[in-house]
Amino acid sequence: MDRHADDHEKGARVRRPLAALLLAASLGLATAQQMEASGALRVLGFGVPDEIASVRVERFEELYPDVELQLTEGAIDQQQLLTAIASGNPPEVVYLNRDDLSTYARRGALQPLDQCVEQAGIDMGQFRPAAVQPVTLDGTVYGVPEFNNIVLLIVNTAALEEAGMSLEDLDTSDWDAIARFNEQLTAVDGGNVTRFGFDPKLPEFFPLWVRANGGQLVSDDGRTALLDSPEAVEALEFAVGLHEAAGGRGPFIAFRDTWDFFGANNQVAANQVGAWPMEQWYVNVLVESSPDAPVAFAPFRDRRGNVLSFATGSAWAIPTGAANPDAACAFMAAMTHQDTWYAAAQERARLRAESGTTYTGTYTGNLAADERIFGELVQPSGNEAFDRGVEVILEVQDAAFSIPANPAGAEVRQAWTDAVNRVLNGEQSAAEALAQAQQEAQSALDEAWER
Amino acid sequence: MGAVAQGALRARPAAGPSGLRRAEARAGWAFIAPWAVGCLVFTAVPMVTSLYLSFTEYDVLRPPRPVGLENYRDMLVDPRLRLALWNSFFYTALYVPLSVALALGLALLLERVTRAAGFFRTAFYVPSLTPTVAVGALFLWVLNPSVGILNRALALFGVDGPGWTTDPAWIKPGLVVMSLWSLGGTIVILYAALKNVPRDLYEAARIEGASGWAEFRHVTLPMISGAVFFVLIVNTIAALQVFDEVYTMYFGQMDSGAGSSAALFYVVYLFRQAFEFLNMGYASAMAWLLFVVILVITLVQLRVSRRWVYYEGR
Amino acid sequence: MALAEASVPRRQVATYAVERPERRVGRMASRLFFLVLLAGVTVVFLAPLAWLVSASLKTRSQVFNGEWVPDPVMWSNYVDVWRAAPVLSWLQNSLVVGLLGAVAVTLSSAAVAFGFAYFRFRGRDVLFGLVLATMMLPGAVTMIPVYLIWNELGLVNTLVPLWAGNLFGSVFYVFLLRQFYLGLPRDLFDAARIDGANYLQMWWRVALPLTRTALIVVFVFEFKALWTDLLKPLIYLYDTALFTMPRGIKTLIDRFGQGGEMQWELVLAATTVLTVPLIALFFFAQRYFIEGIATTGTKG
Repeated sequence: MDRHADDHEKGARVRRPLAALLLAASLGLATAQQMEASGALRVLGFGVPDEIASVRVERFEELYPDVELQLTEGAIDQQQLLTAIASGNPPEVVYLNRDDLSTYARRGALQPLDQCVEQAGIDMGQFRPAAVQPVTLDGTVYGVPEFNNIVLLIVNTAALEEAGMSLEDLDTSDWDAIARFNEQLTAVDGGNVTRFGFDPKLPEFFPLWVRANGGQLVSDDGRTALLDSPEAVEALEFAVGLHEAAGGRGPFIAFRDTWDFFGANNQVAANQVGAWPMEQWYVNVLVESSPDAPVAFAPFRDRRGNVLSFATGSAWAIPTGAANPDAACAFMAAMTHQDTWYAAAQERARLRAESGTTYTGTYTGNLAADERIFGELVQPSGNEAFDRGVEVILEVQDAAFSIPANPAGAEVRQAWTDAVNRVLNGEQSAAEALAQAQQEAQSALDEAWER
Repeated sequence: MGAVAQGALRARPAAGPSGLRRAEARAGWAFIAPWAVGCLVFTAVPMVTSLYLSFTEYDVLRPPRPVGLENYRDMLVDPRLRLALWNSFFYTALYVPLSVALALGLALLLERVTRAAGFFRTAFYVPSLTPTVAVGALFLWVLNPSVGILNRALALFGVDGPGWTTDPAWIKPGLVVMSLWSLGGTIVILYAALKNVPRDLYEAARIEGASGWAEFRHVTLPMISGAVFFVLIVNTIAALQVFDEVYTMYFGQMDSGAGSSAALFYVVYLFRQAFEFLNMGYASAMAWLLFVVILVITLVQLRVSRRWVYYEGR
Repeated sequence: MALAEASVPRRQVATYAVERPERRVGRMASRLFFLVLLAGVTVVFLAPLAWLVSASLKTRSQVFNGEWVPDPVMWSNYVDVWRAAPVLSWLQNSLVVGLLGAVAVTLSSAAVAFGFAYFRFRGRDVLFGLVLATMMLPGAVTMIPVYLIWNELGLVNTLVPLWAGNLFGSVFYVFLLRQFYLGLPRDLFDAARIDGANYLQMWWRVALPLTRTALIVVFVFEFKALWTDLLKPLIYLYDTALFTMPRGIKTLIDRFGQGGEMQWELVLAATTVLTVPLIALFFFAQRYFIEGIATTGTKG
């Protein structure tokens, strides 16, 4: 979707600071500082898939009518983003995965945002710590966080009942309990898996398991890889071992590929899985496609019993050499402002009410926005399971960790992803695989820090 | 044929006043100019640049930093590079002989049904028209162990098909099966070569009492050996550089896990290093290694072909 | 098809003694056997394409149900793909790149080939040897520097790098066309020169028409190559609206495939849209395709 301001307005170039301030005030943006912004603004990597996105974009356009906004459709992958940034004519704003941000920042591909934060009055303190950490490198902010996806436990209560267990029995701080649960609930019928007990969601959630076991993948200062620590090896062995009940990873994947993930006959409704850690947006999917499914939500816990979660999300950043940093800054500020979030959430709540489904909230990464949204817009729906789900997600927001910012993010992630896959495929033992990954990751980190 | 034709255009030695000669030379150069310029800009200069880059560390965002032989040393100890080389070699060694043998077999079959041959040849060729991306997308599901038509077909014969897309041991064989589907071009070449074998040779062989097999060994094979070697060489070079299908099926945003090691082919890994990690220097070094490997393999094949290939009249 | 057929020796008619009936039946039986065998292989070859079309017309949950005939037939999938992604733009881009690139390479390769075939000048054969040598160069070697060149020119994220390289001829087609030019008698050109034509007119009015078939072969081949290319759009384009069809389909796979929204029927519909034009082109230009390949084999 390309959005263009009127051509003649662009030509007019009349600055209307007073009018803009009045507009801003009337829209309730009392704390925002209106910036001077005009000209072309290209945004890369941000599709406009739903009302949460479109409402915010509309508000930006109302605030800054002099800006010619151009959004490229659809999410992009890392390779596209790099091409864009390396092209010498980069877009003004990029939208990317928070965990990738420090890599680009370190290479000098992104501009430091200190000046922008000051000028536009962005209150970084409003964002959740787990969201700010990945976008800060060496004390300098390079990105403005958006969304905070955390991981929680999704449980198929029908399967639980079958196994004669209760939700309390499924305590993820007790790994033996998980293993038992998995054993009991995995059902194999003549070589084909018909139900999988506990899906550890490897390789994506490997960091979660390591953290649960008391370790971490990268040191806090982002300089040292810790992939081969005993905690990591143990975690990997445990998580991989869960697949054995189904006969190995192959049968499991073949089975998983047949799930109607986004449909009414999804794996919970169809009794195809017992429990698994999952990103919270799936709660929304479930409430839309199968609100009557036998589901329960619970926080994931580490082995010491503390609530634990893994946070991911996106961030806005400005590439070096962008032609219109002021407009870019204004855009980022507007998109992540709590009022903008609130307006978008209002629209979604309205649409949900119209269609008779529950609004389970939006997790913006902005604490102030979250408080208002969950305080005012999210009502108990009467559907106990999903209401509890919303509670859990909120509960878990601040217990979520993210991988410390480091300049070799992609390579480090590749290293442990490949290692996990190798172990899953039976090619190497956990210790061997992680030793290799450690070597690869550390050398990538060393090189990256050296530059 | 070629020799005679060459003579036709070059029949008379360059006669006439030297001015004419020079005019002709100038015109010749004018005609060749597009290629000459393009060769310079898109081949010669890039080759030198690529060689230079292989001795630097370069991520496009900052100027190249010379690092001497570091990239080459890193290649020696990079386990993923060895894996990529192995994957590409394994695939090529499995695919090329199979493809030539199968294509030859089918071409021979085509020969037996002279009149219907055109129809079948078309049927075999059409799949090879499928764009590589489409082939990748399509075979991701044709090869799927539980719902794909390949395993369903095997099940009809009571065979329990393996995990073509989920079992690392079967991923490369799966890719070979996929590539064999696009045999059409090879079949067309070999079939044309078969048709070109002079009939009187077969006559002579039959008169001498040669059996079918002996006919094949002593008449057919030598007469088509040129085409067979051409196909071997071309398919080998192509197989070593396969990218599209593998990338579509197992990489990009589709990190399916099972393929991350088994399907890491050389050019895929090179692409990764260049455009996903922005290690342009290292990727350039990898490219030169590939060049050397292809050169060596092709030269070996050419030398072998000189011994075994029979060219009429040469 | 004068040129190609000239190179195929005419078959000599074999003379047999009168055949015995048993032998005749035996031959018919063996021919029938081969026909059946070939028919079986054909079914195997065409099955995946049949599955592709059939699956693209199914509902999401039925895509993998193993039935050959979709029920209900979801023509709407093709409409949905149109809406879900800028498929029209992708098709347009692919068409633009394909046509521009194919025309460019045909004309430029023909010119270069003619230069090497007709004209006599010092160093010509050495230069041509160089042409041959560059055929062995893996694309990967020049891929990165060529990308950097286009980057410097500010032409990344445009369609230009996808076809403009073809303005300079392609060694493979130069080699192929040169073979054809060498088959033309020199007198034709001398006659034209005597009539007052300059070299350019000689090429345009005499050489090109005579090698029309070969030119069409080159055009068809290059169009196919450009229509199906993934690597160039992958490294040069990041604006979704500029994608060509193969790049677009890769995006669809990532978005709607495993790990994405799992709407495989849409991916398969788009894949069919990508494949069908090429197959249609083939049926119209069949003889050029087949001849083109056959010729490369016999003259290579």
